Amino acid sequence: MSMSPTTVRWLRRLALYGAIVAVCLLVFFPVYWMLVTSIRPTRFSITYPPNLLPEELRWSAYVELFQTIPIATWLRNTTIVSLGTTAVCLVLSVLGAYSISSFRWRGRGLFGFALLVTQMLPEALLIIPIFIIFRQLNLLDSLQGLVISDSAFVVPITVWVLKGFFDTLPTEVAEAAMVDGCSRMGVLWRIMIPLSMPALVAVSVVAFFEGWNEYLFASTFITTSELRVASIGLASFIGELATPVELVLAAATVFTVAPVVFYLLMQRYIVAGLTGGAVKG
Amino acid sequence: MSTQTEGLHTGATRAARRPSLLPYALAAPTAIFIGLLLLYPILQGIYTSFTVNQLLSSAPPRWVGLANYERMLADVAFWHSVVITLWYTVLVVVTVIVTALLVALLMNNTFRWRWLARGIITLPWAFPEVAAVLIFTWILSQQFGVLNVFARWLFPIGDNLPWLTDPNLAMFSLILMTLWKLFPFYSLILLTALQAVEQELYEAAKIDGAGRLQSFRHVTLPGIAPTLGIMILLITIWSFRRFTSIYLLTGGGPASATETLVVRVYNTAFRFYDLSYGATLGVAGLVLALAVTVLYFYGQRRWGAGAL
Repeated sequence: MSMSPTTVRWLRRLALYGAIVAVCLLVFFPVYWMLVTSIRPTRFSITYPPNLLPEELRWSAYVELFQTIPIATWLRNTTIVSLGTTAVCLVLSVLGAYSISSFRWRGRGLFGFALLVTQMLPEALLIIPIFIIFRQLNLLDSLQGLVISDSAFVVPITVWVLKGFFDTLPTEVAEAAMVDGCSRMGVLWRIMIPLSMPALVAVSVVAFFEGWNEYLFASTFITTSELRVASIGLASFIGELATPVELVLAAATVFTVAPVVFYLLMQRYIVAGLTGGAVKG
Repeated sequence: MSTQTEGLHTGATRAARRPSLLPYALAAPTAIFIGLLLLYPILQGIYTSFTVNQLLSSAPPRWVGLANYERMLADVAFWHSVVITLWYTVLVVVTVIVTALLVALLMNNTFRWRWLARGIITLPWAFPEVAAVLIFTWILSQQFGVLNVFARWLFPIGDNLPWLTDPNLAMFSLILMTLWKLFPFYSLILLTALQAVEQELYEAAKIDGAGRLQSFRHVTLPGIAPTLGIMILLITIWSFRRFTSIYLLTGGGPASATETLVVRVYNTAFRFYDLSYGATLGVAGLVLALAVTVLYFYGQRRWGAGAL
């Protein structure tokens, strides 16, 4: 059977769209299932087989959530930790990345290598010595302590990302500015930073996510219940059966909203920032 | 990521003109920060592995030389967790790279609503790990989980499968969640790498009579090889140390079927309060990660990035 070129092209398009829709459905399904379970009364969830479509839309779990679970406090603490981590990482990585991108100095290679090595260190091994240090510095059971430990783990990554981006910037502008009497810090402040907005956004998002997600340090260092962050609060639902499932997944949804919205708004910058610029829509 | 050398070169000539303390001052905050919070603790951890130190005992740590390492080498459970770590890592690397590449190739076509597809497909990257674990625990539930609905559609299974409590299925479930969470980000990066491959090379391949597969093999693959290489390294070392999602999804169980080295370190130190042996296992994990990294750079130097 022979097909005309138009038919072949048409079939190809069809296969392409089919494959894309299939991938989207597969990837989105867990998110969909979280939403459906959170708006359906318990009795429809604890039955087998469950309906793939929601029976009714009930938002009461979201109201109940804020009344029965201290999720507002958890989210406030998580927000503080995330914003703090973002601020610390931005300052440290701008300075560190500028240093290894624009200067050649003794120990530069060692510095870069040390940053890579940190990516191999398991938190589970570091947590005990860090615990001891924090106890001496009075940082246990405090949100500042979490900001510091979270930043330590993400700063090596953000320095590398920013360095990669700084490396792609044309050097002529900076040199011209220096000829005109601009200082090295002036170059960083007036030229490098304004030109690196996508990378700064990407770095902020990476740091923010680390603060938002981090579990191990939070669960080990925080003992006061008013200082609990959302990741520990949510993890406490795993394996317990007392809380209705729609409440648990409504909590998961609320916890997920901020990073997802943040990500969707900043998507273009994030990709450009992480990959050094060359992205097409 | 492409024009690094240029920036470095100019930096070098500039610095040669005017040596200063500025770069040290700029790098110092980061260096002090990671030195105090990562490098000093790791030395402390290595020291602990040569001592006997119980978390609940008040006795000071006692130097025991290599005793913990002798114990480790004879410990069947340790070797088991090494095997689990390697197995988990290989499975994650293979499934993530293959999925990410296939999806990136798909997304590299032009079609309507591409921005929407890209938004949906990359969503899991933004998902908090703990939220992902909550969703997957629910989806994988033996009693009410929706995965069983699909599994029973596709395969002739009589009963619901215990996705998280059967030793063989638990690893599969863990990989499923890890894949869902990880592949989108790497897809995005690969898509960028694909778009950076010169169009002229494809044209040239076409003129030389290359088919689709051949131009993938001889143009696309070499073009994205450096990206793939660094990706494999990062996925590997991040899989070695992944803790939260494994610990919360399975706790290392059932019957240690998903107990990677890092989970074992945590369980040893915090469940069995054996700090020094936990530290010993942690050092072993670090050595494993370093070995892989050294192998990677050796391989890269030997065969070049193109051959991976």
